[in-house]
Amino acid sequence: MTGWWGIRCVWLRYFDVYRKSLFYSVVTTFVEPMLYLIAFGFGLGGLIKTIQLGNVSVSYRQFIFAGIVGQTILFQSFFEAAYGSFIRMYYQRVFQAIATTPITLSEVLWAELIWDASKATFASSAVLMIGTVMGDFSPPGALIALPLCFLCSFIFAGLGILVAARSRTIEDISYPQYLLIFPMFLFCGIFFPLENLPKVFQWIAWTLPLTSVISLIRTLTLGLPFQVQALPLLAVWLVILIVWSRRAMTRRLVK
Amino acid sequence: MRDLAKRYETPGRDPVWAIRGISFEIHEGECFGLLGPNGAGKSTSMNCISGFYPATSGSVKIFDTDVYTHPKQARMNLGVCAQDDTLDTDFTVFDQMVRYGTYFRVAVAEGRRRTEALLQRFGLDSRRADLVEQLSGGMRRRLQVARALVSKPKVLILDEPTTGLDPEVRRVLWDVIAEERAKGVAILLSTHYMEEAERLCDRVAILHLGKILDCAPPSELIAKHIGKEQIDEEIRAGVRWKRPPNLEDVYLKLTGSHLEKTP
Repeated sequence: MTGWWGIRCVWLRYFDVYRKSLFYSVVTTFVEPMLYLIAFGFGLGGLIKTIQLGNVSVSYRQFIFAGIVGQTILFQSFFEAAYGSFIRMYYQRVFQAIATTPITLSEVLWAELIWDASKATFASSAVLMIGTVMGDFSPPGALIALPLCFLCSFIFAGLGILVAARSRTIEDISYPQYLLIFPMFLFCGIFFPLENLPKVFQWIAWTLPLTSVISLIRTLTLGLPFQVQALPLLAVWLVILIVWSRRAMTRRLVK
Repeated sequence: MRDLAKRYETPGRDPVWAIRGISFEIHEGECFGLLGPNGAGKSTSMNCISGFYPATSGSVKIFDTDVYTHPKQARMNLGVCAQDDTLDTDFTVFDQMVRYGTYFRVAVAEGRRRTEALLQRFGLDSRRADLVEQLSGGMRRRLQVARALVSKPKVLILDEPTTGLDPEVRRVLWDVIAEERAKGVAILLSTHYMEEAERLCDRVAILHLGKILDCAPPSELIAKHIGKEQIDEEIRAGVRWKRPPNLEDVYLKLTGSHLEKTP
């Protein structure tokens, strides 16, 4: 009962809204990662010249640029999914309106996930492009990182939809935002190597999906050592959050 | 629709039966009314018929297609105007009609032609470039009914389409319903306005606590349950009036309330 035509139809609806308010869309998609790049890449990167990661030495700007790709995936997909889908489900009732047409709710929810991931991929591709142009990323690595960004965006989009489905009011979204998203942003290795943290915090950080995302991006774009645990952890998070978010949103909508 | 039942289950609470085994058929060119107060099960029935809510038991077929096993195929013939405002606030009046048509595989050019005609018919042509939030409540309701017609459905579900509307807008919608019925569209109309049901519906089912208490043409229901005698009622202290019996009297009688009849 789930078909590509229905998913494409709903995805195009999202894209049309994005296209119609292009200035707003560009500002909300691209300005934030650019600000991080300038502040941390150039600002902080000017103070800290190089950092040693095992046997590899990279500039702090390279290190932080790769981290900001992960941060962009996290913020863009989570916030679009959490706030966007809550608004579409609760205030606009877009899901309900479409799901009484020949497009099923399953297709609507797939389109929502794919849209949230697409938007995050638009934004992270800009960071990857700047990193490549500046000579910080390996061009083939950045190219291979792009589909990885798309795939990883599903994890945080799923988390966002799950949060939206479980929130009674839009204010409720603030709890996971402050208790989960911001800690991930600070402690999953965007700004400093995880090795700087006490061992127990390193373990906690590895249980969170952003650590694996950033580790893989750094492997691809900077050639840092591949952490074997990253791929299975991401696969587990991907499956759990996609299945759980779709189930939670369906339960919320269908009585 | 055969023996449709719907039970809501909320963790920590007793299950609630919203519909308890209701059955009816609607024919081409017929307007079928579901009449009942809030909580009678009208909206649940509508949501089950569109296939959005799964039924606990029973079946719903639209032109022999089961809405639960083949929802896409069944809904191609279905136009739904929900009780809640489900208009797409991200699009203008015109654009959202065309976009809604694409969900039914109506080509954009054809969708534009149909939208032009529907906006004229619903008196919304001058507001085509407006966003939904710029429209009044009556205009929004008209737009929602117009949107349900953009796919040229053979079955139209209207869930309390006139609730809260002023008499003028209500008349516009009544005319549209009559026109669609004349074209052969089967209409399922839910309302708690007895006058509306009496005026528009060929048959009416009186729904109470999830059960159909009786189902027949309005005049038959009135004759069967109330008779032809004038109703004498006290409308306020010391003021009485006599009037012909209506569906409201039938409803009140069937659900346990009684009005005094004059001989």
